[in-house]
Amino acid sequence: MTREIDLGILFSRSGTYRLLSEASRTGALKAVEQVNADDSLDVRFNPIERDPAGNIDAYAPLCEEILRDSSARHVIGCTTSWSRKEVIPALERMDGVLWYPTPYEGFEASDRIVYSHACPNQHLLPLLDYAFSQFGRRSYLTGSNYIWGWEMNRLAREIGARNGGEVLGERYLPLGSTEIERIVEEIADLRPDFVLNQLIGPSQYAFLAAIAKLRQLDPFFRAGHCPVLSCNLTECELPTIGPSAEEVISAGPWFRGLHPALPGNGEREDFGSSLEAAAHASVMMLAGLLSSNPGAEYLSLQQLLAQPRAARIGISARTHHVSLPVAIAQVREGAFVPLWTEQPVEGDPYLTREREPAAVSLRVVK
Amino acid sequence: MRRRLRIPNLGGARAAILHRPHETVTALERQLLAIGLEVDCHWPDLPASARAADYLFIDVDTAFDDQFPWEPGEAPIPTIALVGSEAPGRIEWLMNFGADAQILKPVGDSGVYSALLIARATFDARVDLAGEIDSLRRRLGQRQTVVQAVAILAERGKSEDEAYEQLRGMAMAWRVSFEEAASRIVNSGKPLQKSESDHG
Repeated sequence: MTREIDLGILFSRSGTYRLLSEASRTGALKAVEQVNADDSLDVRFNPIERDPAGNIDAYAPLCEEILRDSSARHVIGCTTSWSRKEVIPALERMDGVLWYPTPYEGFEASDRIVYSHACPNQHLLPLLDYAFSQFGRRSYLTGSNYIWGWEMNRLAREIGARNGGEVLGERYLPLGSTEIERIVEEIADLRPDFVLNQLIGPSQYAFLAAIAKLRQLDPFFRAGHCPVLSCNLTECELPTIGPSAEEVISAGPWFRGLHPALPGNGEREDFGSSLEAAAHASVMMLAGLLSSNPGAEYLSLQQLLAQPRAARIGISARTHHVSLPVAIAQVREGAFVPLWTEQPVEGDPYLTREREPAAVSLRVVK
Repeated sequence: MRRRLRIPNLGGARAAILHRPHETVTALERQLLAIGLEVDCHWPDLPASARAADYLFIDVDTAFDDQFPWEPGEAPIPTIALVGSEAPGRIEWLMNFGADAQILKPVGDSGVYSALLIARATFDARVDLAGEIDSLRRRLGQRQTVVQAVAILAERGKSEDEAYEQLRGMAMAWRVSFEEAASRIVNSGKPLQKSESDHG
């Protein structure tokens, strides 16, 4: 018998990171539509949607509202670490589960959350390996004054130190600030081998525009020299950034044109970005856990992930992180061109596992 | 002073938990496994083998000194206190027993990772500090020896200041501590017949 199951959707439709959250929302709704049209599944999802509109203080009450006013136990949502941490108490109070489909900085393994996009061993570590081997070991670190930038750069510093790297400079901007002159001047002056850019939103857009200008003025920064690296830039921001995104190198689980997409996506690849793909995969994985499994919608996350089918799908019962492929790609003429891919690796949020020697699983893309 | 956190190697590290079977242990164990540690639960006795663990979690609500094969304040591994009752008597016991970090009960969804980092850093600082205090104490105890050594050197017609400087020169030449040089002089009963003691 087909079961109709309420499913929470909690993404902002306005605000500074609207481009990212809209991509996630699109992916989640695509999957809902797909599940509901699939006769091989015995579940139908009924989306219960709330829009925090980019307001950090709206997430917890709206998450609680979903869990209180509907029978939803699972919510797909949140785009920032800050909002994810905000909703945890609501999840605990109301016995809910969050599927978080956005890259983040790791060091968390809540028993209320499934982490379905990449954590540092799936984005930053392979990206640094690549940068050290291709460009050199002298880095410049920049980011927004926010946990993402702080933690990612702290990791980069630590990993760099372990590999004989040298950090020439490290500077932060307040969230939303576009005063990037000082950072760009410093980069022009220090001439690092690469820049690790953990800026977000308008700060990143202003930064990339200024770097593009620098490349025209200073021959040291001509094409191919001192690339700007990112761990969260996807196709969904490219139209807004325009030509100054050219040459940026980004790491993620998937970029448009790579086959296949994420493990949870099945055959499907019609996504605008990995954000959309990961949200789609989250809903599909949930459908896979609940279908032909009557009553599973009432199980705790721990019980649900203890079932063998969770491991088959690639969700770790121990860390609640998902196995994901690794791709490193460069923006060329408005699209990402893959430079490097790796087979799916298990998420290691606390970086306590030895990283497999990259040579075993990687493939240089010609 | 700015402290830089050195992240300990937690993958495959062992945590020992001394707590009766309880939801607290389940929640603690889940977090420890997620981080990548191996976990041994003990109750009611802590076996001697627990000394080989990398971290120890203790239940302040029920703990008493005789449960532990070491003196209060001398835990040989980083220790994390699980605090339920905040009754002053229990807090007093905890202060005497000593812990390197604490977690308030009930243990929920998080808190273990930061407790591990803080416990390791505090424990390492505690061990370093104890070593430094030991060495300072030893040197303090040798004050009398230094006075005697300076007196012996001064007997040869030097002022006290000159004798003191001479002793410092000897310590440097012998590559030993000031106190050790003093002790050599006192033990030999007279300055050693070497050039550095004569051309001063």
